[in-house]
Amino acid sequence: MLKLYDYELSGNCYKVRLMMAFLKLSYDRELIEFYPSKKHKSLEFLEINPLGQLPVLMDNDFIIRDAQAILIYLAQKYDSQNNWYPSEKPSLVAEISEWLFFANDLTATSSAARLHDGFFYTNIHVEKCRKKAHDQFRIFDEHLYFNEQQGFPWICKSQYPTIADIACFPYIILSEEGGISRINYPAVRRWCDRFKRIPNFIVMSGIFPAGPQKVPDNEAKQSKILNGN
Amino acid sequence: MKLALSKWFPVASISDLPYRHIFQGQLLGREYAIWKADDGNINIWENRCLHRGVRLSIGTNEGFELKCQYHGWRYANRTAGCTYIPAHPADAPARTICNNTYTCQEKYGMVWTCETPIGDVPDIKGFKSFTVLRPIPINSAYKNVRNFLSSKEIPDHHMLRSKQTEFWRFKTNAGNLLSLVIQPQSGNISILRGIYNLKTTGTEKLRVLKYYNSLMTKLRDEIESQHLPKLHERNPKISKLADDLSQFPTLSDQKHNLRVSVSEKVKLSDNIVKLKLKSIKKQLPTFHAGAHIDIVLQNGLIRQYSLTNGPGETDHYCIAVKIEKHGGGGSKIISENISVGDIMAISAPHNSFPLLRNSTHIIFLAGGIGITPMLSMAKAMHSMRQSFELHHFTKSNDKEAFSHDFASFTNKVITYNDLSINQSLTTIKSLLKKPKFSNKIYVCGPGEMIQNAIKIGLEFGWNESDIHYEYFKNENEIHKNSTFKIDLARSAMSLEVPSGKSVLQILKENGVNLVSSCEQGACGTCKVRVIEGKIDHQDVFLNSLEKEGQNIMLTCVSRAKSKRLILDI
Repeated sequence: MLKLYDYELSGNCYKVRLMMAFLKLSYDRELIEFYPSKKHKSLEFLEINPLGQLPVLMDNDFIIRDAQAILIYLAQKYDSQNNWYPSEKPSLVAEISEWLFFANDLTATSSAARLHDGFFYTNIHVEKCRKKAHDQFRIFDEHLYFNEQQGFPWICKSQYPTIADIACFPYIILSEEGGISRINYPAVRRWCDRFKRIPNFIVMSGIFPAGPQKVPDNEAKQSKILNGN
Repeated sequence: MKLALSKWFPVASISDLPYRHIFQGQLLGREYAIWKADDGNINIWENRCLHRGVRLSIGTNEGFELKCQYHGWRYANRTAGCTYIPAHPADAPARTICNNTYTCQEKYGMVWTCETPIGDVPDIKGFKSFTVLRPIPINSAYKNVRNFLSSKEIPDHHMLRSKQTEFWRFKTNAGNLLSLVIQPQSGNISILRGIYNLKTTGTEKLRVLKYYNSLMTKLRDEIESQHLPKLHERNPKISKLADDLSQFPTLSDQKHNLRVSVSEKVKLSDNIVKLKLKSIKKQLPTFHAGAHIDIVLQNGLIRQYSLTNGPGETDHYCIAVKIEKHGGGGSKIISENISVGDIMAISAPHNSFPLLRNSTHIIFLAGGIGITPMLSMAKAMHSMRQSFELHHFTKSNDKEAFSHDFASFTNKVITYNDLSINQSLTTIKSLLKKPKFSNKIYVCGPGEMIQNAIKIGLEFGWNESDIHYEYFKNENEIHKNSTFKIDLARSAMSLEVPSGKSVLQILKENGVNLVSSCEQGACGTCKVRVIEGKIDHQDVFLNSLEKEGQNIMLTCVSRAKSKRLILDI
């Protein structure tokens, strides 16, 4: 049985919840309060993850720490289609890894600014974080724009979303909670819309669903006609 | 600044508006929600919901309406009029609730706007075909970017002098053209947008886009590294609400002051004609599902017809008219004398048969041409993904008439052809036999059908308030022989109503401008609140509970049983 050590407002935990939703996996949740009681630094939790970080996933006895590592594990083990992490394609795996590290870097910028604004982490130099986040977003927008131009809707050169998309999504979409506007990143905003329309997408606090997809005309079935005498 | 308000600036690339996306844009400090409706119309609206000021750009593009993320207010394509407020599902929002819209033109693959336009988006010489480059936001004031561009030598490009100071034109060594334009986004952010004067595709397009992306990015980096003085950042500009949103609305005068032209006349069947009406000048007002308009016909007759439009279809009104061979003449004129291109006078939409969306399921019962208001309602329900079923009792020669309107939800429609009265009654009984909590019945059709449906519904235990209906006409004989007095509480007037005249006529003769429509007690437009007095109801609009309540009356036909009525007008 899968068990997730989870915190509702954590973008990193949300990555794992997204992956499990996309793969339709059922799992148990143990809630570890990050704020204000800082349960992730408690002695009990440090035994599970000495780094004192969320999320942690347990697959029976096997413990995986770090959101990105969990994504790789879940995709490798449970994605029968092999689209989320196509391990047989070295160039795609390399590309995914590159953006997993980018996603991890966002925790020091966009996520940190959010912790400052929303969770009273006053020792964070928020202006620096925002500036760096904007530098990252500029690069990300340019990357997504040219992918679109080449017919790739996602971060990597694939017709399917990969775990790189999942890993990047939370701290991009939550950036405004840290005072980082996305008004100048139109390609990023379009990618966010597409991401939200992946089947089985779920939301968390602060993230809204996208509008409806176009309903194919053939969905409206044949009408019924009854005749009198 | 004033000068800038009359200049056209681009605010988005066309490619920024994919299917069902809402683009967040900004010009001169004002934020816009820019979205393309399913009919291709591009809307540029102020980026705030009129309710709590939340950005509309985080809402959803529903195809023909934009829905705010916060409390679900819906706004119609083009007019930006509010069409639905979920917290008041039983009320149609006032038409005055309308967001600010801005003028929009598409040119050179970009969306342009201007607050007080003089003329159209100017032509840029030499750009009959073009490739739109990736826009580059720059953290610097418009003035800085402008000064920089005027003084800067761009490698492999020669600046061409021109009178159009807003557009820079450059000739490349290979003889092609580049044009740059700066969008002043806010005090310290500008967006550099460019077009290249060849239409490119495939790898050549990618090469051009990458080349200019890198060139313009270098310009950006140079400008940003100059550390030019920052302007004092102004607060974002937000328009004040219109006065009529914060004040008690005045009674609108009932003139048939909209001018439309007939853009389409189609025979839907042997007996039914559809008219599509387009506005000649102004934007047509927002309508709500179930609304009707008055049409002034050539011989002076005024007739009411329900709109059959779906939500957000605001570039035209559609009506369907049944040709009555022995009718009063309205339908005959429409059938014989009106043709495409004719100009007609119509009223703004009235709605006295509103679609209440506070139910879990709606059963629509339509008899013949009574289907028309329900077409609009069913389309609205379908668009909001709410549960409903539509039963249409018709003659077999009309059965195909509305199949086009049903196209996206035919699985929710059942058509009954040529049923005898008894068969219809049995069918309605089987449909209504199980009243369910929070379900509603809507019925529109011949008077007899409505009366039967109400009777059957009440017999099976439906609440009277859950049965909604609209009569085409009032078939009751109206007596006009009583004489009584009316006191108008708000207007501070006392008037006599003599026999032979209606309350409505007396009000109009004395300058009290009450909106009315059918004037035979069927549509409900002229209803007023009654503060005191006993009402002699003669209409077919109010249900028996409302009639018993004795506090509302239709002034066109109803009179007084007491000597005096006090009206709340």
